[in-house]
Amino acid sequence: MLNLRVKIEYNVLVNRLLGIETEYGLYVEGRGVADQVMEAIGLLRSCPFPAIKGCWDYRLEDPRRDMRGFRVEHLAVDPQDAQIEREHPISLSDREARSDHVLTNGARLYNDHAHPEYATPECRRLMDLIAYDKAGERTLLACARAYQEKIGATVKLYKNNTDYHGSSYGTHESYLLRRDVPFDTLASTMTPFLTTRPIYAGAGKVGVEVNPNPRVPYQISQRADFYMDTMNVETLYRRPIFNTRDEPHARMRDYRRLHVICGDANMSEYATALKVGATALVLDLLEDGWAADLIVVDPVRAAQILSREPDGKWLVETDKGIISAIDVQRLYLQAAQTRFAGRDAETDWVLSEWETVLNLLETDPELLGDRLDWIAKRQLLSLFAESEGVALDDATMIALDLAYHDIDPAEGLYYALVEQGRMRTLTSEEAVQHAMHHPPADTRAAIRGLCVQRYAAQVESINWERIVLRNEEQSVRLDLSLLTGNLRDLNRRLTAAVDITEFVNLLQSPRRASEPHKEA
Amino acid sequence: MITRAEERVRRPMPTEPLTRPGGDGDGPSKPDVKRPDTNELLKRMRRIDPEQARRYRQRSGE
Repeated sequence: MLNLRVKIEYNVLVNRLLGIETEYGLYVEGRGVADQVMEAIGLLRSCPFPAIKGCWDYRLEDPRRDMRGFRVEHLAVDPQDAQIEREHPISLSDREARSDHVLTNGARLYNDHAHPEYATPECRRLMDLIAYDKAGERTLLACARAYQEKIGATVKLYKNNTDYHGSSYGTHESYLLRRDVPFDTLASTMTPFLTTRPIYAGAGKVGVEVNPNPRVPYQISQRADFYMDTMNVETLYRRPIFNTRDEPHARMRDYRRLHVICGDANMSEYATALKVGATALVLDLLEDGWAADLIVVDPVRAAQILSREPDGKWLVETDKGIISAIDVQRLYLQAAQTRFAGRDAETDWVLSEWETVLNLLETDPELLGDRLDWIAKRQLLSLFAESEGVALDDATMIALDLAYHDIDPAEGLYYALVEQGRMRTLTSEEAVQHAMHHPPADTRAAIRGLCVQRYAAQVESINWERIVLRNEEQSVRLDLSLLTGNLRDLNRRLTAAVDITEFVNLLQSPRRASEPHKEA
Repeated sequence: MITRAEERVRRPMPTEPLTRPGGDGDGPSKPDVKRPDTNELLKRMRRIDPEQARRYRQRSGE
């Protein structure tokens, strides 16, 4: 096997909590969409790893709260999906249906709208996030194998965002940022960036699912067909490019969470790192007082045209005239280079790779077939088409597209490329295996992970920002909402705690109060 | 800013090791063995059931 693993020393941390939540596509032999909720539950209950189950605390969640200062009455639902629910009602409590698990690494695993979802623990290092994202694949693969063994039917999981028949499911990114960045500035700066980001972050897709006229054999993005609005709070239907959900999972007075729902699920570690790294740098720019002076005209239409013209000129209409999507991205890159070059190794990696990728997208995009999913996948499909004498838009290609996202390394086509050393990878299997069972050492996820490892029987409820433990006949509420900084020292002390009382005392001590903003 | 998108070109999947575009600076170490040919990839692709995409239907998620 060839080794294309990039070896970089990351000695400085990014300055915000990061996370990726992925809803996986689920196929169970002989079962259909009406069975999918029960199949997802069955798969999750087959999880072979230690976990706290059924204790997720939903009381702090409010997906209807909008950053623009209001709360919507209800969220839109996909009409087709609503019909399935009407015709095939399932009598389960929310707790049973959700089948929540909190894992020893601090991640969350549960059933989200009939899809097994893995939400990574909060990370501060980009390369940690890559390992935890891959750990999610391995965790779910283990669940699928256990479930397959149990039911005696083939079970497959796909890390993608579409069934190619008009149903989409999400891969969402979370970025904590300071609340003093004004909403209007955040939205106006992020929208052109997110509209054009798929040129390197897209996962690629055969065909078009919405308005398939004219016929397009291959798209850059899986998700673009499902954009319906530039900005709103929705996630299930009328999906926007810029999501306005105001749910920081940290102290509201201090923080926002940028909830990016327009992205694709990347198999490529490099593409994941570049998209998250570049997005985090744009947030750094915003927190530094910079704002983009550019408005894209009709971002939804622009994003869909970009996606459907993988070999096009990628021209975008803006208030400054027609600009290529590559140059829109360069606007952000150059601002980040000016301010942050030399800041730390991870920042320099993102800046350097972002520039290289944009240059190659302009001059020789096929050279990025070892880094970007949409190009790697199209090269695979082209190879097959040429070898077998079939057209790129042949129905077989959709099956190959799907197989690219199969998370089983023995079956998936992305993993065939990795096995042959054709994809650049950023982490190692050892790091991924470690990440499956151990939390990041420097974030509040370690507190969650320690609770699963040591105090599972005492956990009454748990979520991203609060844990309630039973100790000495009392319920003790642990507030994690301010623990957003580097917690390496605190986590070391918590790990050394001899019992739950010391653990609780450490988290409630006055000394801890000084930890949140302390940097390494 | 100069738009040179028309210079973007497509090439087939390379069968030989790539020359690293970034030169000898940051990036992965150069592979020390020859890149395998595409036969193994094609074998795996031929094993894919073409009907799987037709069968694959999902509930809409987030």
